[in-house]
Amino acid sequence: MADVTFLDARRISADAETADVALAMDEDAFRAFYDRTSGALWGYLSRISGDRQVADDLLQEAYYRLLKANTAFESENHRRNYLYRIATNLVRDSRRRPKPLFAEAVEMADIAAPDSHADTESRQDVRRALGRMKPRERALLWLAYANGSSHAEIADVLGLKTASIKLLLFRARRKLAATLQRG
Amino acid sequence: MNPLNTDAEIEAIVADAIAAEASTARREAAPPSSAIVWWRAQMRARQEATKAVERPLTIVHALAIACGAGLLLSIVGSAFADVKLSLDWFATVDLTSRWIMLPMTAMLVSVLVASVAAYVIFADE
Repeated sequence: MADVTFLDARRISADAETADVALAMDEDAFRAFYDRTSGALWGYLSRISGDRQVADDLLQEAYYRLLKANTAFESENHRRNYLYRIATNLVRDSRRRPKPLFAEAVEMADIAAPDSHADTESRQDVRRALGRMKPRERALLWLAYANGSSHAEIADVLGLKTASIKLLLFRARRKLAATLQRG
Repeated sequence: MNPLNTDAEIEAIVADAIAAEASTARREAAPPSSAIVWWRAQMRARQEATKAVERPLTIVHALAIACGAGLLLSIVGSAFADVKLSLDWFATVDLTSRWIMLPMTAMLVSVLVASVAAYVIFADE
């Protein structure tokens, strides 16, 4: 093995600062994928975490982890599901950190700036109802009805068995509908 | 819940509610541009690569310093008796004598020149 002097080591260190680092996608592919998915992912993160600021932070972290992932993706769908799985795990981890002083339901209701549209109240009701659900139930419903994901995809993203998704979705639907109807 | 709600009705209520909320979320979403996210990812990956390279260097530095300190202490310890003898000899010698002054000055000058030369060489690196 060739000897590496102190100066060689310093040069290697300097090279690491300036060289192109190995990421899972090239710039053009990443930017196209990001432009296609970031809006929907932000919506998912903000509604599952109940916090816009958390969604902003986790969005970039999720894409960074996707770029650093040493995984071969079979398709665009596979890559997108992997991204949502990272995002779901990040939200789960962020909930383990100290909580803000106000309740989660209130955070969810206050997620958007108030506007003067006629349906503001019904949207607030939906947010409040979502805020009263468990994060996993929110994720289930969002993936099924906002993203149109299949049961297999939902199971993959949430780390659950495909066979259990139908029942979990059924329960989550009934819970949300009941909360919405109670107002 | 209204007991008249069938599963299909419940599904329709939930699907409408979530679809409306998803549409609102899409309007609210203001993610940073893809160029910024790509640039930050590059920067962060480079920082992590640099840290990964520097970590073993730091360990080697620490080991080298520890070895050097140990070596110095052992030399000082073993040479203590000789040093004491030399100091005793210095006490008996006339330091103002030119036979003492000349070699001492030559040694001092060479130490200074060597220090400056080492600084110039490593500052260039």
